Amino acid sequence: MFNKNLGLYFFLLLLPVVSISQDCKLTVSGVVKDLSTNKPIIFANVYLKESQKGVYTDSLGFFKFESMCEGDLHLSISHIGCEVQEIFFSLTKDTNVIVFLDHNGHLLNEFKVEGEGGKATTQESQSINSKTIGENSDKSLANMLEGISGVSVIKNGSGIAKPVVHGLYGTRITILNNGVAQSGQQWGVDHSPEIDPLVANKITVVKGVGALEYQGSSLGSVILVEPNKIDNEPHLHGEARYSFETNGLGNGINLELQQYGKLFAWRVVGTLKKSGDNHTPDYYLTNTGNQQANIALQLEKKWNKKWSSALYFSSFNADLGVLRGSHIGNLTDLEEAFEREVPFYTEENFSYSINSPYQKVNHHLLKFHTKYIINEKQWLDFTYAGQYNLRKEFDVRRSGRSEMPALSLKQISNFIEGKYKNYLPKDWDLNIGFQINHVDNTNLPETGILPLIPDYLGFETGVYGLITKKMEKTTFEFGGRYDFENRKVAAISTEVPRYIYRTENDYHNLSALFGVTHEFQKNWKVAYNIGYASRNPEVNELYSNGLHQGVSGIEEGDPTLNKETSIKNTLSIKGNVKEKLFVEGMFYNQNIKDYIYLNPQDEIRLTIRGAFPVFKYQQTNVRLTGFDIATTYQASQRFAITAKYSYLKGMDQTNDLPLIFMPSNTIFAELDYELPKLGTFQNVGFTVNGNYVFEQKNLLASQDFVAPPEAYYLIGLKFSAEKQLKKLKLNLYLRTENLLNTTYRDYLNRQRYFADDLGFNLVAGVNIKF
Amino acid sequence: MKKFNKIVVSGLVILSVLASCNKEKDDPIIPNEEEVITTLNYTLTPAGGGTAIVLSFQDLDGDGGSAPTITGGALDSNTTYTGVLELLNEIESPTEDITVEVSAEGDDHQFFFEPSASDVTVSYTDMDANGDPIGITSTLTTNSTNTGTLKITLRHEPAKSATGVSSGDITNAGGETDIEVTFNLDVQ
Repeated sequence: MFNKNLGLYFFLLLLPVVSISQDCKLTVSGVVKDLSTNKPIIFANVYLKESQKGVYTDSLGFFKFESMCEGDLHLSISHIGCEVQEIFFSLTKDTNVIVFLDHNGHLLNEFKVEGEGGKATTQESQSINSKTIGENSDKSLANMLEGISGVSVIKNGSGIAKPVVHGLYGTRITILNNGVAQSGQQWGVDHSPEIDPLVANKITVVKGVGALEYQGSSLGSVILVEPNKIDNEPHLHGEARYSFETNGLGNGINLELQQYGKLFAWRVVGTLKKSGDNHTPDYYLTNTGNQQANIALQLEKKWNKKWSSALYFSSFNADLGVLRGSHIGNLTDLEEAFEREVPFYTEENFSYSINSPYQKVNHHLLKFHTKYIINEKQWLDFTYAGQYNLRKEFDVRRSGRSEMPALSLKQISNFIEGKYKNYLPKDWDLNIGFQINHVDNTNLPETGILPLIPDYLGFETGVYGLITKKMEKTTFEFGGRYDFENRKVAAISTEVPRYIYRTENDYHNLSALFGVTHEFQKNWKVAYNIGYASRNPEVNELYSNGLHQGVSGIEEGDPTLNKETSIKNTLSIKGNVKEKLFVEGMFYNQNIKDYIYLNPQDEIRLTIRGAFPVFKYQQTNVRLTGFDIATTYQASQRFAITAKYSYLKGMDQTNDLPLIFMPSNTIFAELDYELPKLGTFQNVGFTVNGNYVFEQKNLLASQDFVAPPEAYYLIGLKFSAEKQLKKLKLNLYLRTENLLNTTYRDYLNRQRYFADDLGFNLVAGVNIKF
Repeated sequence: MKKFNKIVVSGLVILSVLASCNKEKDDPIIPNEEEVITTLNYTLTPAGGGTAIVLSFQDLDGDGGSAPTITGGALDSNTTYTGVLELLNEIESPTEDITVEVSAEGDDHQFFFEPSASDVTVSYTDMDANGDPIGITSTLTTNSTNTGTLKITLRHEPAKSATGVSSGDITNAGGETDIEVTFNLDVQ
């Protein structure tokens, strides 16, 4: 008894002595490498939060901290253009780590995108990382993606923007919000996706030929908005972001908090944004302000080694002002508006107020996801998602009716997905799955106006299978998908007295794709993909009937429209010469049979409001051909030049006419100068860029009310720097847009009929990581 | 594995709920289209007495559907008429008089009269709270015989203080067109 106690006593006494002598002799060392090239990164900043000490990696990407004590460690590794990597571990012995940084914005992205499920694909994609998202936090989703070659943006003013990939937009591309196909009101060119990009850590554009594993009617490209999994790190961490822009006096704050708790891991992201009237070089764009309040909550729980579940909730709430002067009456007003230098209703002074016309949009997503790992080669995945979408559009109306929405739609959708993955022997990967989606779209009768689109119920089911085979230098991908859609429509007649009529449609669709990538020589890869896909006509294309105020035309649907079918081919090549000159190119050709478009008719319809042009939804066979080319020349460690060129030509082959509303060709060039260290700042970057947008010449004068705008070029500057303040990592940035305050109009901006585009803008922001 | 079963069961429950959802869509509620203007009547009564002439534009089913009915008129030369405009919504039952709304928001509305024949002139005889014309009541004067048209436009939120607008010149008025109709006139 006595002996035992004595022994314990001695042990307690000795312990501190032993640990002091042992602890602070430990070493933490490591190598920082580029994720895509596996090459060491020189001059990366490695910061040890506990001792508030920073070092730089040497010419071999190597770093070392000596005389370290036992205990918890937080390492923060950063390099210019890369996402900051945070590493946490408990130090008990000498430790060596390898850190991979994702060198984004660089052209040398890998071909293969390993998604959440580790699915390899042969399709080309480009991403923006959380650093880029953070330094563009003032922008909307579509505007953030504008820098990716092949992506353009349809705008209605500056706040309402939707992405265009390879000339297609709206329901022809699929947007996935955290793995769930966004189910909203995407039928109008003036409807922007209801997603806050700041909830994402990564946004990817797959410029592909088909997205067979996703539900939706994608004719090729897909946009993935993905939050990261929560880091396995027991302490509370987060990031606070603030941005200010001079044009529109916009302010935005965003806060992200996360912790890997004992019970579960959690993350919460909130955004508040408000901006007022934007300014062209010469006048205010009255009523173009917008405000947003968004929140996202992510919970993750690992039940055991095989089981994990996640719950995700996001809420997007926005009021988006529409230029007052773009709200006009009939054709006479429209013609008059074109003639004017300054739009009607332009106010002398700036204002934050948002009046009619404006849009009020709410979108809520609840997602439950669970994954069961059967064994190391196989897993099962199940997702349920519910979405609730409300869209109200307010017009200028008589007798106080401006307070009443002119369009009020409610959409509820319920989605179920099951996926199975198996890594078969000999590098064959198998992915199969099914999806069921139910959509209930209802017009709320509060408008006092006959609805533009009818009420409907949609029921979609789909199954898919994808197989990839990896060989030493070549990867093959095959896939197939079958979809069934049943749509029940309940519409109100245009004749008086009004009555209700019903229609029902069934659609059976097959999609298929084939892809191959091949590595040749050293550092060069080529990929070829072909995909067959179809898209069912949307309700607006089938049934809309009436005046579309924003475009001052009468739009008539056609209930007999067929589905569109598309065959898209892409050929891409990517590689580098001596890791100095990086080249990337993609050529594509897409033939769409029965492409649905709004065709202006010869008829001018007389109404009590005057004459209106008539547009009918019609079908034709079209061909979209284009290429995106980008090169970077890394002249030295500090200096790089990038140039990009995008070309697209759309033709209506049946009528031998140019296809309207196709993006203009663009040339973009950028000079980057990077310094790992400047005074007390790290990772300091200066950038000058220029963007030249060609006039859209592939259009006949008879195909639009006014000729497409002239070519223009815009110059921008960027500056960013990082600073470590004890445990806080500061990222400061300054950005100018339209530096020369150029007066211009853009072909894809609907507001171009009425007003110039935005003038000079200075954006300043700070992101604090803790 | 128990949890896995639970998930499968709850998945099946959701599936069956979804399946039961797939019934007919409820009847949409037909909105109360109180804002529509189906009819414009311009009643011209000779100042010296006599039968009134009514210029009328009527489109009972709104935009689209069947074409509107437009009735012009024959006027006497060298005559002064008292003009009264009336706007109706005949989709509603009973018929709603929209003129009341326009009159109540007089400072946000103005009618413009544009005769093609210079011999016909129209002048305002009413005014809004700011002393600017609205045009619900007017005087139309004919001179020599001729034929032509009369265009009547109603602008919402025009710039009434802009040059010429208060005297009936639409050029600088701006605003949004709520009504734009053209009648044939035969001055005999």
